Amino acid sequence: MANHRADEKRFLDDRGTHSITTPNGLNPATIMEKPVRERIIECFYWKAYCFALNECDIVTRVVEDVNFIGGTIGDSQAPSPFLCLVFKLLQLSPSHDIILSYLNYGGEKFKYLRALACFYVRLTYRAKDVYELLEPFLGDWRKLRRKGRDGGSRLTFLDEFVDGLLTKERMCSTALVKMVNRVVLEDLDQLEPRVSSLGDIEALLEESDGEIEEGENGRGEERGDGSESTPEVTEKNGDGRNGWSRNSKAPTPEAIEE
Amino acid sequence: MAEKKGAYDVAASDTDFRKKYDRAEYAEKAQKREAEEKEERKLRYEAKLAGKKYYKPMTGEEEFTQARHNIIDVSSKVGKIELMGAGAATGKKGKGAGNYCADCDLTFKDNMQWVEHINSMQHLRAVGQSGEVKRATTEEVMQRIDELWEKKEEEKRGNVMSVAERLEIRAEEDEKAREERRMKRQKMMERKREEKGKDVKIKKEYGEDVRVEGEHDEDDMMASMGITGFGTSKK
Repeated sequence: MANHRADEKRFLDDRGTHSITTPNGLNPATIMEKPVRERIIECFYWKAYCFALNECDIVTRVVEDVNFIGGTIGDSQAPSPFLCLVFKLLQLSPSHDIILSYLNYGGEKFKYLRALACFYVRLTYRAKDVYELLEPFLGDWRKLRRKGRDGGSRLTFLDEFVDGLLTKERMCSTALVKMVNRVVLEDLDQLEPRVSSLGDIEALLEESDGEIEEGENGRGEERGDGSESTPEVTEKNGDGRNGWSRNSKAPTPEAIEE
Repeated sequence: MAEKKGAYDVAASDTDFRKKYDRAEYAEKAQKREAEEKEERKLRYEAKLAGKKYYKPMTGEEEFTQARHNIIDVSSKVGKIELMGAGAATGKKGKGAGNYCADCDLTFKDNMQWVEHINSMQHLRAVGQSGEVKRATTEEVMQRIDELWEKKEEEKRGNVMSVAERLEIRAEEDEKAREERRMKRQKMMERKREEKGKDVKIKKEYGEDVRVEGEHDEDDMMASMGITGFGTSKK
């Protein structure tokens, strides 16, 4: 298939007979639920801004229009631009290289582009690839705005969003495809056990136990000013973007001690 | 038809100024047009039989449809007055009040209809687009990301401002607005004063200082009737 259709009609009319199936074997036109799908294609944003987009224009639209993540919003359940663009991605079904460039190259620069690509990967890729592609972003602590069904904004973070994608059953008004558990994949030797960006969890726990004891003995005042919080939380309080790029390496135990 | 000849065997030439039509050429044209119309009728009929919508067949010279970069501005007409003929548009056909599509000669009353029309195959064919979008390559995507990033950085460099600077600008704006209001008030006062002065001037033109309202009404009336007074002209 050389070109895309400008509108969604053929995509929706095909009902999976001619359209490409996604890597996890689903029909992209039915991944989202029907009521949501219909709200999307009826909404003004979809008609005015999502018409005749290609893989490049998706980036432009994300940068210009998406400033929060969310599904359907308010009593009228209006679909968010984020959701509309996810649906457009499902229609375009971009190549793997383009998805990687959204995730990594573009994702470094634009956080909402990464969030969008993560969501798309979760919907369409096989479980093994989803774990492999998304887990690195559990170290991305940039801030995101999230709008719930009630229309209220809430602060969230990219790692929280990715974690939700890996663990929750439903996000952004979309039922996420059931994934094989990570442990099962590890048992089948398809995946290596995950290494946290914080380092070895067991060692960390032991170390922090030791630290508490030490603190009780001699450094009580340091614990008093709240410095015992986990490094993740400390970073979240800082500037999202810089915090992420500066601390992309796993923090050393010294950093945790400070 | 036999050639017309005048009484002196000379062909009439007084109508030579008229345009000579090449009948063969026009007959050919008409035939072509009729054939096209017939073809279209046939296609329309076939489309109808198949339960599909008829669109003009593609010529092969259509260009790709591209994403719109400008925002559809439906609010630009708010508050504007347009004069329309009484029977300007019947239904959507023709130019009427609303968003007018010159390519399709149709008018739409609201933004949703307008957007739907712009996206429709009918419109795309009318402007010579195929309704297909070119697939982008990875390099193009990378390039677009770079462009957008560069643009954003440029904007950031453009408006680096401290809070103090912003406050200063706000104060200046406030001062300007206050000045404007003051000028407006002054102008109004001046106008009022002028109007008052005008009244006084009219009264002065009578040759007296300030006349009391109603005092000389009788005299004025008499004067208008040609009577200047009783008895003596002296007053």
